[in-house]
Amino acid sequence: MIRLEDVSKVYELGKGNTVAAVRGVSLAIGAGEFAAIVGRSGSGKTTILNLAAGLTRPTAGRVTFDGVDLWKLTDQQQSHLRSRKIGFVFQFPSLLPTLTVHENVILPTRFGANGPSPDAPQRAEAMLRRVGLAEKLSSYPRQLSVGQQQRVVIARALINQPQLLLADEPTSNLDEKTEMEILGLFRELHASLGVTIVLVTHTRQLVTSGMKAIEMADGRIVEASTTAGPAGNAARLPLDLTQ
Amino acid sequence: MSLLQLAWKNISGNRLRSWVVVLCALLVAAFALFATLLLRGAAASLELAANRLGADIVVVPEGAETEMEGALLMGVAAQFWMPKENVAKLADIPGVEAVSPQIYLATLKNASCCSASEMFMVAYDPQTDFTIRPWLQRQQHAELGLGQVVGGHNIFPTEGDDGLLVYGDVVKLSGNLEPTGTGLDQSIFFTLDTARDIARVSETRAKQPLTVPEDQVSAVLLKTKPDTNIGELAMRIFRALPGVYPIQSANLFRSARTQLNSLLRAVVIVLALIWPLAILLIGMVYLMAANERRRELGVLRALGATRRFIAESLLAEAGMLAFCGASIGVFLAVLAIYLFRRLIMVSLGVPFLLPSPGALAVQIGIGLLLTMFSVFLAVLLPAIKISRQDPAIAMRE
Repeated sequence: MIRLEDVSKVYELGKGNTVAAVRGVSLAIGAGEFAAIVGRSGSGKTTILNLAAGLTRPTAGRVTFDGVDLWKLTDQQQSHLRSRKIGFVFQFPSLLPTLTVHENVILPTRFGANGPSPDAPQRAEAMLRRVGLAEKLSSYPRQLSVGQQQRVVIARALINQPQLLLADEPTSNLDEKTEMEILGLFRELHASLGVTIVLVTHTRQLVTSGMKAIEMADGRIVEASTTAGPAGNAARLPLDLTQ
Repeated sequence: MSLLQLAWKNISGNRLRSWVVVLCALLVAAFALFATLLLRGAAASLELAANRLGADIVVVPEGAETEMEGALLMGVAAQFWMPKENVAKLADIPGVEAVSPQIYLATLKNASCCSASEMFMVAYDPQTDFTIRPWLQRQQHAELGLGQVVGGHNIFPTEGDDGLLVYGDVVKLSGNLEPTGTGLDQSIFFTLDTARDIARVSETRAKQPLTVPEDQVSAVLLKTKPDTNIGELAMRIFRALPGVYPIQSANLFRSARTQLNSLLRAVVIVLALIWPLAILLIGMVYLMAANERRRELGVLRALGATRRFIAESLLAEAGMLAFCGASIGVFLAVLAIYLFRRLIMVSLGVPFLLPSPGALAVQIGIGLLLTMFSVFLAVLLPAIKISRQDPAIAMRE
């Protein structure tokens, strides 16, 4: 589904200073997989996610989605692909504060090639029911707890029934109980919808049974494995993962 | 959710920013339209007054030029005289095709024998007149007979259905002329015979009698022959007839035109300051807003919004605010012009004619479009800049 081929990303910091966030990474995530990218802050995890979604142009290498080179698409084609096929869950509060919960969830349907479908409001309600927030349709983000806001973000990410869900440290601002609830929700969605999930986290303990774990350090993949059982019980895989 | 709905949500969610943009648009629209209406109204009024006078040259007693202008433009009562024999002398000057004398009179100040206080009155000679009769014909008024007057646009009957009290004499108001925005709208017009009749009646009925000297006139209106150089003819008149001053139609209302030009210069200077400042301020407000909303706009890109959508949403937001501001601005400008036009006329010393509803609608439309275009211009660069940013970097900051 998503393939990164020898991808590097160097950010220009101005005055001739640069920082290499990702260095020659090759990676493939297949349909239906649940992958976790783990690593310390600054290891390049979020950049990998952004590269996979076409949100930032690689300095070198190629990024493909279902065999299509993302950077050979026009801005419109790329945006439509993101809208229809990729859902995002961000680390930071990403709901639009001026929109209600319901309006926030509907928003991505606005960006499709054919515009919003007539059943978008019903689908948004169904999604919010699924994440346990059916009664918060008319609330504004500021009226919700951080955990509830993240649930809304997940509902928004799934409104267009994407093939791929990218989650960037979705539980980093949550307490342990809520963190477990959100991860449970991800697992449930993966199991019931079959959606491919790539989860970025700096906590290795979150990598559980059946997940592909990709560990990053200093912009490189240092270890890749598929867990066969509980966390920590991982089968090691070759570094250059091109499944 | 449509682009406009999203823009509206952002507007209502950022009230301070929205008010700044509305206020800028309001100021630009209000000032630009007010100034345009004022200047065009004054220019149209001067043009119409000059046309209505219908003479190529107006000959008045030397030193009475300003009084003449004040009477015609602002309705300030004026009386000045020169020998009637000048009429014949002027007719004999080569290049003159027609001459017609007029007598300028005024009603008494705060006198019960006059319907209006210090109202300017013009008496003309129907045998030779070529200026007032054409208006009457154009507006399908009958020739004025003895005791009949025609009023400017703002003259209303005070005695019965169609009577006006002038020096104790009730004259019949036969009709009203179209508005010019000048003192002519507050004046009445009648024949020399009617003037003498009013003068006769005034001896017994008025607080103070009206004097119409038989051997004097106030002004002589003059039409030139085709291909005559009006400037040279005016010079010939000036040399041939001592004690008179020929005013060419092009130079008529010179002081008002000078005043208008000064006003125009002032307006251009103020507008030249306000307009770029408003654009700059709106541009800066949007640049700051765009920076403040970088993460939000980055999220929208991640959710599938195109670069174009991002730019359009900012432009739509600014466009809606500009429309609100400009609408309030044009409303206030029109209201101010309607409410304070007399005050403006008096304080600036220029006449003013309200535009027709059609012309007003066109000017309002132009005002709205120009303001919206200005705001569009101000927001274009920030909108393009923000739409082209790397979403990943935008979301990081």
